[in-house]
Amino acid sequence: MIKPAVTSLHQALRKSFQTLENNHKVWRSELEECSPLMVSLGNLAEQLRALSNVQMSGTPLRDFPDLENRLRFKLLQATDTVLTKLNERISSLQSIRDAISNQVTAVVQLYQQSADSLDLSAVTERSPTSPSVADMLEWLQDAERYYRKQFLRRKALLQMLRADDLSLLESAPNRWKSLDSPSEEEQITDTLCRVSFFMESQ
Amino acid sequence: MKPLRVLPVDLSDRGSQRCRLGPGVMSALGLNLGAPLLVSVPGGSLLCTAWPRPDLADGFLQMDMKCVSPGLISGLPAHLTLEPGRLAPVPTPKLKAVKISVVVQSAGFKKHTPPRVVHELVKDMLKGVYVHSGFVINLEDFDTEIKHVVIENMNPDCGSAGLITSKTTVEVTSMKTVRLFRSQLQGHSTAPLGGLEEVSASLREMLELPLLYPSTLNSLGVSCPRGVLLVGPPGVGKTLLVHRVVAEVGASLVVVRGPEVVGSRPGESEETLRTVFERARSAADEGPCVLFLDELDSLCPRRTGSSAPENRLVAQLLTLMDGINQSDRFLIVGATNRPDSLDPALRRPGRFDREVIIGPPTLQQRKDILSVLCERMPVCPSVNLVELARQTAGYVGADLSALCREAAMHALRENSKCAGEQAVGMKHFQEALRLVRPSCLRSSLGRTELSPVTWEQIGGLDEVKLKLKQSIEWPMRYPEAFVRLGLSRPRGVLLYGPPGCAKTTLVKAAATSSSCAFLSVSGADLYSPFVGDSEKALAQLFRQARACVPCILFLDEIDSLIGSRGDGQSPNSVQTRLLSVLLNEMDGVGLRTLERRGTERIAQAGGGEESRDQEQLDCQEVCNKDVMVVAATNRPDCLDSALLRPGRLDHIVYVPPPDQQARLAILSVCTKAMPVDADVCLKDLSEKTDLYSGADLENLCKEAALLALLEENMEASAIKHTHFLRSLSRMSPSLTARQIHMYQTPLR
Repeated sequence: MIKPAVTSLHQALRKSFQTLENNHKVWRSELEECSPLMVSLGNLAEQLRALSNVQMSGTPLRDFPDLENRLRFKLLQATDTVLTKLNERISSLQSIRDAISNQVTAVVQLYQQSADSLDLSAVTERSPTSPSVADMLEWLQDAERYYRKQFLRRKALLQMLRADDLSLLESAPNRWKSLDSPSEEEQITDTLCRVSFFMESQ
Repeated sequence: MKPLRVLPVDLSDRGSQRCRLGPGVMSALGLNLGAPLLVSVPGGSLLCTAWPRPDLADGFLQMDMKCVSPGLISGLPAHLTLEPGRLAPVPTPKLKAVKISVVVQSAGFKKHTPPRVVHELVKDMLKGVYVHSGFVINLEDFDTEIKHVVIENMNPDCGSAGLITSKTTVEVTSMKTVRLFRSQLQGHSTAPLGGLEEVSASLREMLELPLLYPSTLNSLGVSCPRGVLLVGPPGVGKTLLVHRVVAEVGASLVVVRGPEVVGSRPGESEETLRTVFERARSAADEGPCVLFLDELDSLCPRRTGSSAPENRLVAQLLTLMDGINQSDRFLIVGATNRPDSLDPALRRPGRFDREVIIGPPTLQQRKDILSVLCERMPVCPSVNLVELARQTAGYVGADLSALCREAAMHALRENSKCAGEQAVGMKHFQEALRLVRPSCLRSSLGRTELSPVTWEQIGGLDEVKLKLKQSIEWPMRYPEAFVRLGLSRPRGVLLYGPPGCAKTTLVKAAATSSSCAFLSVSGADLYSPFVGDSEKALAQLFRQARACVPCILFLDEIDSLIGSRGDGQSPNSVQTRLLSVLLNEMDGVGLRTLERRGTERIAQAGGGEESRDQEQLDCQEVCNKDVMVVAATNRPDCLDSALLRPGRLDHIVYVPPPDQQARLAILSVCTKAMPVDADVCLKDLSEKTDLYSGADLENLCKEAALLALLEENMEASAIKHTHFLRSLSRMSPSLTARQIHMYQTPLR
């Protein structure tokens, strides 16, 4: 009954969901590694702010020559280090996103190649153990969009940071946190649960 | 197939460019999953990919607005149903290159972000999106500073739709802020403006010149004017003009309404004003910008001696306007209808360089406005706009639009009663004319509702009627003849004659037949216990009358209103001062600048190529730009001789007591409504009533009718000749031969 085209599509879908599941875990661990870095970035911004507020000549520290500039240099250097580390995280996030993207594009392409031999009823047919092909393609695309969106937002946030705009730097950790969207992430977990029977029915 | 109901898009589909359809429609159109689809809806079209609905129900449509034509940016109209035929699959080749312009949220982002970063972000965002040339891609769901992307150009350019892949080269041609983008979009959809072409052209020139020829202006070493003050009565379209010009040029607009700026805490208002200027400055960085200060008189009143809080606000505005340096390229436009209450420091070059006066529209301008207003209304071809413009003397743009609305409402009411064609006819306009009054005359002193009187209702006096027609009706009816012979319309007409000889009624008839605005004043309107108030009121009256020419200003009993200077009164009495005001207004040096209207036109006769209608319109405008003063008195000897010389009251018309012929005519007019017995001989009566005035004759008829009622006990059906004779015997004429002789001696 089941056409060979559908079978091969199912195979590809299984593989994609497998990739999604693996990468999802990696993504989360990468993000967890990012948050302490963001906190230290916010910390550094606060120190920079304090430095610019203080009048060195009015404190006992005035005897040290050129202290303010030296401190600033140190802090900026530390900021640079943190940002470099964050950029490394970002590029590994990018590679995760690319892996998922490539997988999804491949499945969609496979569908488009065999689309002529599949009519709409075959694509939208559901059974108790396996969702329809249309649903699964949709979920994959949704997941891919989620990762793309998350990655872009975080990247844009980091790109926007400038050393001369302290308030931006200070608010960065909070804004980074606000980019998490638990509901959308939950949807991915949901999707993975929904396809669990389908994954097992090899 | 059934039409599809359009529902709002699901939250989870937002930004996915999906278009949810029922599987029935999808298979009918031969669509696979994710097939690109061009949907045309009222107002534009959008590009999306087909997906089956999760519940597989047919008859609904949910579209994500990721890629839409510019007209649909603000969203779809509510409660929409679409025929399935409006969905069309489109071929989408993979694109090699696209040229785009990016719309970002804030000017700060545009300034500080390197183009490389923007390019990288945009490229990532656009991957996998189906695009159409000229459409706008909505990127708001990414939640970054980049809000939209406009597709300018695509390669290969086949079929005008395509798919952006990771191999597509993306080139960012320009970057602008959302505000500018929106204002440019709105520029395409504003209504045209009638009758203000000259003003709008000069405004546009000031906006565009520094942008088009910056180097020329630099080499000339001149600075462009940067402030314009629009002055005009309420309703002439000052605010609309600014909005319109701004939209045409594609400039961004920063509006300040006076009361919005004023805050409760000290210093708050000044701070708001500074932020407004800052906003204008940042908007001017990316294109032409106009800072519009509406109702400037409330924001910047004349400073008084004490330390009123307004003084500080005025000072702040002055400093801000002085602080604009050459590099800030924005134009400040102020609008007010009370220029005299502005602080004089504001009205000097360097602050408001130019003052543009927009007066009440002239005849030609009214016609233009009406034709613009009527363009979008289903108007009967029988409606004559020229005639309508002629009847709407003193109406400003707002009045005219109210008039059209009222006429349309009348037509609607009528048509809802009996289903017919929805067209607005001349009669609807006539009805609306009765409801909508000109705002130039609102709260005017002499505004009178007069009951219409026709020439036929006045018996006799044919010569006087002819003279009145000559001076009042002819200039309006046959302006081209007046222009051809180099005639100008008389400034004023004086009617004098014994009391009761229909002087007032004659004026009423003249006003009715000429259908122009009619103002009438009496002493009660003008006199006031305060010194100088009466003169001010009279001057104001003339100003209002000039705003709605052609206009007749009627001064009844002018001898009591305005005395003579020579008759032993104290030289500083109210009458004398009023007389001097009247003389000045009628034959003064010129108009105040604030009363300028339209452009000065000089009529030349001939030139037959132009359409006759147009020519007549032009002549009308030239001929009838003064107020016609009509005065009536029965004591002409009391008038000041200065008032009677040509140029003031040029036509002096003697309204004589009725002679025998005239008395016959008057009697026949008076008895028209009365059941008169067959034996009544009006000719006999007219011979017996020598020295009777018109009013006396009317009274005679009344007395005779009352006598008939008295004698025949309420059942009287006709008035007999004896009644007339008996009432005549009880009356005596009100005129005397000496009196008449006195009137007949020449005045001048």
